[in-house]
This record gives sequence, C-alpha cells and structure tokens, in this order.
Amino acid sequence: MTTIPKGSTVVMVGTRKGLYVFHAKDRARWRLAGRYFEGVPVHNARYDPLEGMAYAAVNSFQFGPIVHRSKTLTKWTRPKSGPAYPKKSGWSVAKVWNVIGGGPAEPGVLYAGVEPAGLFRSEDDGDSWRQVAGLTRHPTRPKWQPGNGGLCLHTILPDPKDAKRMVVGISAVAVFRTDDGGDTWKPMNDGMSARWFPDRKPRDVGYCPHKLARDAEDPSVLYQQHHWGVFRWEEGRGRWIDVSRGLPSSFGFGLAPGSQGGTAFVVPLTSDGDRTTPGEMAVYRTKTAGRAWQRLTTGLPRPAHLTVLREGVASDGLDPVGVYVGTEQGQVFATRDGGDRWDVVADNLAPVMSVTASPFP
Amino acid sequence: MDVVLPGALREYAKGAGTVQGKGRTLAAVLADLDARFPGLRQRVLEDTGAIRQYVNVFLNGDHVEEPDPARVRVKDGDTVHILPSVAGG
Repeated sequence: MTTIPKGSTVVMVGTRKGLYVFHAKDRARWRLAGRYFEGVPVHNARYDPLEGMAYAAVNSFQFGPIVHRSKTLTKWTRPKSGPAYPKKSGWSVAKVWNVIGGGPAEPGVLYAGVEPAGLFRSEDDGDSWRQVAGLTRHPTRPKWQPGNGGLCLHTILPDPKDAKRMVVGISAVAVFRTDDGGDTWKPMNDGMSARWFPDRKPRDVGYCPHKLARDAEDPSVLYQQHHWGVFRWEEGRGRWIDVSRGLPSSFGFGLAPGSQGGTAFVVPLTSDGDRTTPGEMAVYRTKTAGRAWQRLTTGLPRPAHLTVLREGVASDGLDPVGVYVGTEQGQVFATRDGGDRWDVVADNLAPVMSVTASPFP
Repeated sequence: MDVVLPGALREYAKGAGTVQGKGRTLAAVLADLDARFPGLRQRVLEDTGAIRQYVNVFLNGDHVEEPDPARVRVKDGDTVHILPSVAGG
C-alpha cells in the first residue's frame, strides 16, 4: 500500500467518479497515491492537519451520502452513519456538499453541509451527526428555492477565534451568520447583487453565493464569488463591497484565499449563459482585497473553454501559497509560487468537482 | 429469511453476499440487520423511512412497489433481494 511521506503537500481531488489523492514534497513532482471510491461522486474531500484526519463526502447515487475518514489518505474507514434529517421532517439528506473541521476554536468537531440545505455537526469523526436545527428551522426557509445545482449548503466557515461564530453559504438562498453557536442565524446579504429581482430591491433571501472564504490574516474579512460579482465583506460597514472591477466577467464559481492578507484567487467564467473560461484558462489574483486584480496565465492553456466548479479552487496555506484549480474537463492545474507560473498536476481525470490542498505533516 | 445484499453493501456484512434477517415486515428485517450491521439500514432507506428512490427491493422475485417498508409483510422462508437500480451516469 502506498504511504504518503510526511512533510508532503497533499491534493485531494473529488470527481464524479471517485477520489484521487496526489502528493509531492516539493509541490512540483506530483505522484498519485491512489484512486478511491471508484465510480462514486465525491463532492468534497480534505485533510485537516489539526485533527490529523482526512474526510471525504462520498455521495452514492443509489445508497446515499456517507462521510468517510482516513489518517493516511490511502486507507479509508466507513463511519457508523451519515448525516440524516429526523424522520418527521419529511426530508432526506441527498448529498453532502462540504465537510470541514471546526478549526482552532472547535477542535474535535466536524461539520457537514448538505442538500437539501442544512448544517450537521459531529463530535466523533462522523460516526454520528446532529443537525444544527437553528438553521434548518430558519423563518425564511419556506422561501428557499434550489439553484441549478440543488438546494445545497456548500460553504462552511468556522471562525478560527470564536467557536460561537460561523458563516455559511447556501446556493440560491443567502449567506448566513451565527454569533451564538448556531442557535440563531441572520442573513448576511447587505450589498450583494440583487439585479435579478424584478424590482431590484434587497430581500432577505434569494441571493446566490457560489463560494466564500476568509482572509488569511483578518478572518473578519470575507471574500465571495457570487452568481453576479465578486465581493468583499467589511465587518465594520456590515456590508458586501463589489470588487469585480478588473475581472473579465463577474460570473464564476470557485474562489480561494491566499496565505497573506488581502490575497484571493478566482477563475472567471464567460457568463451564466456560457459557464466556460472566456477563451483562455486564466486565474485572477488580488493582493489588495479586490481593489486590483492580476491576470495569471503562464503555463495555463490557451485556447481553452473549461469549467471550474465552486469547490474547484483551493490553496494550501503555505508561503508562497500553492493554488490548485480543477476543471470539469478533468485537469488539475497548480502553482507553487503564488500564481506567477502554473503546471499540470493531472489530466484526463473524471470531471473534477472539488480540489483541496494541505500540508501533510 | 435470506437477504441478498448488493456488492456495494457487502462490506457491512464483512463481505457476505447473503445474510439472515428476522421480522414480520421489511422494516423490521432491516432493523434487525442494522442491529448486527450498523449503518446498513441507512443505505437502503431514506431519512423519511421510505425505500431509497434508486434502490430496488424484490421479495421472492417480485418487485416491492410499496415505498414504506413497514407496510411490506414478510415471513420465514422468504427471500429478499436488495439491488441498485440501473440508473445514473
């Protein structure tokens, strides 16, 4: 059995037909550790260095979703159960879209974002789950409607300093925040684009956050790739600021933070009518929290009409930061110098739904 | 009664393709199996308790159309097959 050397960087690629795990000590010579859950969609998989454990959201079309775990990334353990709604709710968890640890403020805790939209919490590595009912029963829920990808809770951002605070994103609904450990949640939409509402007036729900991330140095600053626009959240002003100027398109799915404050990466797609890269594969980087963007193309293909999904952009937290981009066409591109030059980690994979990257200490 | 498991679920029964189940309804049989093979029932039933949409259950060769397993009567000597539907892509 393959053993991933300690001190490697691991890249976990969730595809429509299984999970691929790559590793490299120098972030240049990537090796495939293995392919797991063959034939089954893996919507998200990540290694958590704080917990020393990897988790994979494996969503069987027939038999439902399960969050598997592994310490080695090469041998996986099936838990005793998956997230499940109470029988009387009338709902059934169809997919797990995102799985993430509670972070420094909540060690030993695992969260899962599911479809139909909900947040689940586990304190035993996924063997048992409890729904965060305060969100499930939010008073706006009767107005929640699914987007093209489903009514999914796709982003979970624990606060690294405060266990009671968290931000989540639900497709076609809103960004929500809790400041009391999940008992109550407030929509966090001020400043977001409302251009598709008939009267263009703000509402409590009906927005479409695609992906969210916290700034590496100031966790109160958030970045958002929305259906229409890239935004920055300024806590002091209590609103989202549109930082799309300088991008070829305001539409896209994936977003990842850099390792230094003010840095983020997005992959603009042509439009919501043509969800492919605009003639070239280009990643855009900001080092000024969205005030200016740099177009990064060295080593990336052109011409190219590729699709990068919401979980398809990731960073590894190292310095200089490594950024990883996976496409529906089965490629994974990577940079190890903060974006100035890109290489191919893998090609001809099954359609990529998710990429994550982490040190494997 | 014999319960024949699909390949994808045999790991729950340590690789066994056929296991023995007890109960007077399909729901009871699945509960009986779940007690010995934790997590197996959740792979066959939705959170609502209904048989999963893309799982087919056959009782003595006949397809079980009733989605509520509590309404499906079984008895000793029956054979239950659990199969994934031919769907997806």
